[in-house]
Amino acid sequence: MNDNEIIRIENLHKWFGLLHVLRGISFTVKPREVLVLIGRSGSGKSTLLRCINFLEEPSSGTISVAGQTVMMRPGVQVDRQKIISMRLSTGMVFQEFNLFPHMTALENVIEGLLTVKKWSKDKAIPIGEKYLEKVGLQDKRDVHPIRLSGGQKQRVAIARALAMEPKVMLFDEPTSALDPELIGEVLDVMKQLALEGTTMIIVTHEMGFACDVADRIIFIDRGEIVEEGIADNIFNHPQDERTRAFLEPIRKVRLV
Amino acid sequence: MAVETLPYPRPPMNDPDLGMGKDLLAYQRKMRLIQTAKIGLVWIALVVFLTVALLQLRFDPAYVFNHYNFVLQGLITTLGISLASIGIATILALLGALGKLSNNAIAQGLSGFYVSIFRGTPLLIQIYIIYLGLPQIGHQLQSYGLTELGRLFTLTATQSGILALSLNYGAYMTEIFRAGIQSISLGQREAAESLGMTRWQLMRRIILPQAIRVIIPDIGNQFIAMQKDSAQVSVMGIWEMTFRANRMARQESKFMEMFVIAAVFYWLLTIVSSWLEGLLEKRMAHAYER
Repeated sequence: MNDNEIIRIENLHKWFGLLHVLRGISFTVKPREVLVLIGRSGSGKSTLLRCINFLEEPSSGTISVAGQTVMMRPGVQVDRQKIISMRLSTGMVFQEFNLFPHMTALENVIEGLLTVKKWSKDKAIPIGEKYLEKVGLQDKRDVHPIRLSGGQKQRVAIARALAMEPKVMLFDEPTSALDPELIGEVLDVMKQLALEGTTMIIVTHEMGFACDVADRIIFIDRGEIVEEGIADNIFNHPQDERTRAFLEPIRKVRLV
Repeated sequence: MAVETLPYPRPPMNDPDLGMGKDLLAYQRKMRLIQTAKIGLVWIALVVFLTVALLQLRFDPAYVFNHYNFVLQGLITTLGISLASIGIATILALLGALGKLSNNAIAQGLSGFYVSIFRGTPLLIQIYIIYLGLPQIGHQLQSYGLTELGRLFTLTATQSGILALSLNYGAYMTEIFRAGIQSISLGQREAAESLGMTRWQLMRRIILPQAIRVIIPDIGNQFIAMQKDSAQVSVMGIWEMTFRANRMARQESKFMEMFVIAAVFYWLLTIVSSWLEGLLEKRMAHAYER
């Protein structure tokens, strides 16, 4: 892994029972790059993202994140301590937000700093407030998640991931659980992060957004990378038949 | 960054029809109140009926008035044994549940075995084994020269009672804790893991605080059940309410009088307990109310 790569995935396989979900995926991500993963439901793109921070344990392959490397082979236990230390390099945003309901917005954001990094409250609170402000929710600091709208919840979740100052942000369909009128506020925050040079890997069905922010797009089908390239190439000049078939209905909608 | 946020708290309503909503609300409240009052009347009628019926059947109220205090003096003992036991049982249940949910074969085996034995045998037998059976082992150990160790096996009646109730209820509550922990969604665990938390950190900071709220009503139920089951420790001659009622009843064969008054005290105790549990439940709901 050289300096110009922050993530390197080599020959990644994932089995769910006898279902071969990822079939030898390899790709790299450069610092400050925004990579968007697209593909049908069940193509394995979410599983791939979740393998990067070991929420799913890959069956075999090599994962390098920010200078730390893990090699996996079937039947070999991966060192938990190493996984936990690698997870600190990534921040994850979930489709269902997964905010901690018993904590206020601010407590959610600083929880990782307090518990994982063992910071004092005095040190963590200003950082938490800084990131709440970044997502435009400083006035919600003492509000519990149940009193937030879906878009606000997702922005708190983004602040929670950012507060750990990870090297790479991972987004797993961050707007799929939102009402249409709330999607914009979350995408705005993500666009802002992209402009600031945050390294991001995004799984999304928002093709317009993907087109806007992606430095590179990877199209996945049946657990394999079918095609990758810059947004313009993928959307306007897809090379592979499967990519074309996937994007055709979407392009029609856009024309209407 | 200019991002629209939903206004909170919500702005005051300027609905011209607000009166209609308020009237409706007042009507619903009134109907609920009337319903509650009716149910209360049924209760009072039942208590009056039972009292009158007893008095018609040679029930001696004077004996109750003269001796209720003797039974009531056992209330502190009953409550003390129950409180100590529910405390220890809660700790055992937490350990048991963590054992059942761990990947460690020894922990799983231990907790499964514990729950199976103490749920599968009568409380009364457990009390006898601890109070009468263990000293037998203790004497044997002492004859081997292990004097100090042997002494540990001879427990006072109160110690035996608390130990038996704790072990028995700990086994039942292990299942309550396990179900409570498993009721917290997988997403909570994943969010905590993605922040880099260890298993123990995510259990302590994320899962348990949410699980406790879910199982507070069940723990309250167990506490109420225990207050009544603690009557069984009277077989060891502990001076709690049941033992005292029994003793006073036998003096003049006034069984109905003494056991009814003991029952009334148990009943009042459980009513107060469930009221307190309700308050606790309400307090913990704070973060979950819109």
